[in-house]
Amino acid sequence: MPARVSLKSLKRRGGLFEGIKSNIQALAIGVKYFIDPQRSTLLYPKEYIEHRPGYRGFIVLIKDKCISCAACARICPSAAMKMARVTEVDPKHPDKPRQKQYPVINYQRCIFCGYCVDICPTEALYHTPFQDVVYESLADMFLTLEAFQLEPSRPSVSEGSPVVYEVDEERGLIKRRR
Amino acid sequence: METILYLIAYPPLWQVLILGFVGALLVAMVAIWFERKAVARVQRRIGPYWASPRLGGFMMIVADLIRYATQQVIIPTTVDKIAFLLTPVAVLVVTILPLAFIPLSPHELYWPVASMEYSLLIALALTTLPPLLTAVLGWASSNKFSIIGSLRESYVITAYELVAVLAILAAAASTLSFNIAYIVEAQQPVKWLAILNPLAFLAAFLAVLMSTSAFPFEIPESEHEVVAGPYTEYSGILYVLNMGGGYIRRFIYAIIIALVFLGGWAPYTPGLDPFTGFIIPSLIVLVKASIIVLIMSFLRAVYGRYRLDQALDAAWRLALPLALLGLGWSIVLAYMNLI
Repeated sequence: MPARVSLKSLKRRGGLFEGIKSNIQALAIGVKYFIDPQRSTLLYPKEYIEHRPGYRGFIVLIKDKCISCAACARICPSAAMKMARVTEVDPKHPDKPRQKQYPVINYQRCIFCGYCVDICPTEALYHTPFQDVVYESLADMFLTLEAFQLEPSRPSVSEGSPVVYEVDEERGLIKRRR
Repeated sequence: METILYLIAYPPLWQVLILGFVGALLVAMVAIWFERKAVARVQRRIGPYWASPRLGGFMMIVADLIRYATQQVIIPTTVDKIAFLLTPVAVLVVTILPLAFIPLSPHELYWPVASMEYSLLIALALTTLPPLLTAVLGWASSNKFSIIGSLRESYVITAYELVAVLAILAAAASTLSFNIAYIVEAQQPVKWLAILNPLAFLAAFLAVLMSTSAFPFEIPESEHEVVAGPYTEYSGILYVLNMGGGYIRRFIYAIIIALVFLGGWAPYTPGLDPFTGFIIPSLIVLVKASIIVLIMSFLRAVYGRYRLDQALDAAWRLALPLALLGLGWSIVLAYMNLI
């Protein structure tokens, strides 16, 4: 037996008056936003987000504070941080070179969890408050010890102005210039 | 100087080439740009910006046009080649055709149509031609999306073309004339039919919006359902011809609405020489028509797309009674000698 086809017509919500009213309301909202736009787009190179302190951005090493405990390399959940063996001059015995281990980072793997910064007993690692850095090749993302000690340059800071995103009670997420 | 003015005001040059093709192209570009910017404003975005920050990203539209113009035109092996290649061109030509029967000046000297009876009827009849070619587009493409798209187009056209014609003919009923120039002169200076007969104006606006598939109601070519509707197989310059055809059609309708409901060149009394008699009135009509097109573009920010059945339901249950009411009211207007 074939399935019986029955047309079901839904009952209309409200009447004609309700329809006209809701259409006018929708148009009024559109016109209101058209006259007073509340844009939240970040015009990226011209503006950059100024993050709050404590933002987990790029990680920089202060080599002089490092005691080569390798805690950062062990805690790293994505195995981005590795200890590199370096031959350097021992300040106590200048004539005898010594071997020491320092952390280096692979930003292909780093997830910016910040465990290494937290666990460092001498605070030899710290976060910069930004992440928008571009590398030209994947090999460049594996930082050497020298590169790991430098804060990466951030062109948008020199060209743009800082903005902050805030949650407003009435308007939702809004962008505010500093 | 006088000679140059007369040359520019040579009707086929000024009205069909400059106003018709160049003006329609400009209005279409401004409409697309305004659509994107206005919708972005309402939706808390910025819209096109980086192409030219000082012009508000208008150059993005020019860049798009250049990209389309230089793109490779792919002709699939399964299509009906002659129909596939000729129809987009025919769409453009047929779309611009009503402009030949729309007087933009009250003087017979500049456009002989100004004294012709039935110019409104002929112009309206010609505006109903391009949808037939859309059906041909779908058939020539031999693609299921194209067929579905042109089928939808024919459904929407059947429903809304009637409403548009009825609503615009309400003006003829109230002024007792089919002559567009006479209808405009009857509305001098501010007895505009949009004010006297808002029902017919609303019905005409709605019907034009739907039948030219303006953006929120682009039922025939809705991207999410049928890839690009009848234009699925088209690429490059042929796609621009199709898409621009829709915008130009809306623009032509807007000119008719501006003449019939918004008083055409109404607050202004045309003089006799070519500048005050032909160029200024036609520019006033052009500005009014552009405002109508821009308002239609703005509606994209507010409304969502209707389903086909919702659109047809709105046509037969809402727009057609509205147009009939407008027609009745215009007969009352004529009976009471209000216009």
